[in-house]
Parts: sequence; C-alpha cells; structure tokens
Amino acid sequence: MSEESESSSTPTDSEERAAGDVQAVYDRIADHFASTRAYAWPEVESFVTAIADHEGLDRGLDLGCGNGRHTELLAEHGADAISVDVSRGLLSAAATRQRDHGFAADLVQGDAATLPFADDTFGQIVYVATLHHLRPESTRRESLAELGRVLQPGGLALISAWSTAHDRFDAETAFDTTVEWTLPGGETVDRYYHIYDPEAFRAALNAVDAIEPLVVTVSSGNCYAIVTTADSDATPITWPVESIL
Amino acid sequence: MKESLMDILCCPVDKHDLELTVETKDDEEIIEGELTCTECGEAYPIEDGIPNLLPPDMRDEAAA
Repeated sequence: MSEESESSSTPTDSEERAAGDVQAVYDRIADHFASTRAYAWPEVESFVTAIADHEGLDRGLDLGCGNGRHTELLAEHGADAISVDVSRGLLSAAATRQRDHGFAADLVQGDAATLPFADDTFGQIVYVATLHHLRPESTRRESLAELGRVLQPGGLALISAWSTAHDRFDAETAFDTTVEWTLPGGETVDRYYHIYDPEAFRAALNAVDAIEPLVVTVSSGNCYAIVTTADSDATPITWPVESIL
Repeated sequence: MKESLMDILCCPVDKHDLELTVETKDDEEIIEGELTCTECGEAYPIEDGIPNLLPPDMRDEAAA
C-alpha cells in the first residue's frame, strides 16, 4: 500500500502563515512517519562525507530534522550536531533514534522561518525536504534568509525540495498541492507541499540576498542546491563543491 | 538540553540573548526550565530536556 497519495484538493498559497499546520500534521503522524524513514538520503551522505574529507565538519544544523537520520550522519562525521524541528512528535522520534543508535546531538523545537540561533553559528546546514512544507512564499523566502543569517561566512548548506521532475507529477511549472499520509489504521492526513520546478527553485534561491547558490541540480525527483553565504569571500571554499551532487 | 547550548541560542523573534532558569537537572542535562529573552521578556519553556523556541504565535496555536 502506498503511504503517500496526492489528494484531489488543491490548496491555495494563502497569505496566512500556516506553519502550525505542518506542526499539527507531523505531530499526528510522527511515530509512523519516523518508522518509515530509516536511512539517510544518498545526496545528503555525499554532501556530508565530501565536507568531512575536505575541511571537516564543525557545528552542523539539521533543519527540519524529522526522525534525525541526517543528524546522525552529521554527528557520525564529527559535527557538533543540532537538530531542529517544528514538531514535538518528530523531535521525540529523533531523541529515541539518538538513544538507540548512540550519537550525540542537541534537540531544539523551532520554526525554520524564525530560527532561535545567533548569527554565523553553523559551519554546515542540512535543510532537506522541509522548505516545500512552508507557506506562503514569503515564509519560504524568510526561511532561506534565516538559513543565510545563521550560516558562518563561507559555510555550506544543502537545501532540497520536491520537484516537478519527480515521476509522480505531470506539471512542468511550480504548484501547490496536498499529499496524503496514510496511517496504519487507514486514516489519512494531508500535508501541504509547494512543488518547485527547477527554474523556480533557482529563482527562489537567487531572490535571497543572504545566500549564494554554488550548485543547483535535480536528483531523484528533488531539487537540490548547495549554497554558501553572500559574503563568503571571507573564507573561500578551497575545493570543488560541484563534484558533490 | 545542555547549558553549553546557551552560547548559540537566541530569542527567535528579536534575536537577543536568553536568560536560563533551571527547574530540574539530571547530571549535566537541563530537563525542565525556562529561557527568557533579555530584550522582549518572552519566556520559552524547556520541557523533557527540549527547549521550545517556537515564536509565541506558533506555540499558542499548538496549545489550542
């Protein structure tokens, strides 16, 4: 049985701040969702191992950590890892994973568009499969600006979002949708998504002054970007990040 | 949460420093307590070892 199916209803990208929806939805499906998300994504693994091989990791943020699978990756590769999620249920799942797998990380409940961290805090940020849940567009933009604010000058962040390039979508330009999550009992829970086309994704990144995209690409039906800070002249990256994705 | 986290945490709203009040501690881990913004005075709870630093409007929404 498929756990995810696209709903027939199409939500509008309303002006109302809707992160509370994301929080409620993931609190509801947290345990089941976490149990189906065992492994790190290969693209994230490439990103983290490439940095580990070159300059090494320092303080790493897993923004929208879910069950903490990518926090584990950061911690395993030597980062001082911090996990942030809007959902308390998912943070509990991350805490359980941390205990079971024996890695160290600090957990913080927070909103991706209003981060509770000082400027220039993180050397590495993984912001995977989270941006597409935020609405409206201005909130997604704020979230990218916040990422740039907390990233150290010359630090690297990996950003991903669901793409129209995925097999399940017919559309060629960006759109809003809801995707159902089916719980074991058959109950379904809708999750909001903004599906990016690759050009819209690139434009969204370029529209934010605080970040500078180094690589933008599509992989496994997701848009990916590696970004650094706009003022990265301070500490230039001394190795080719293009090779990662 | 560990006290060392105070070095990087700030108020999500105005990004000012937070002041820590510890209620319960287990070894080095703060289990229950509060983080208060030194500028706007907003208080953020630490529950079961996890600080809740959602902005106030999102926190209220979750409680409702």
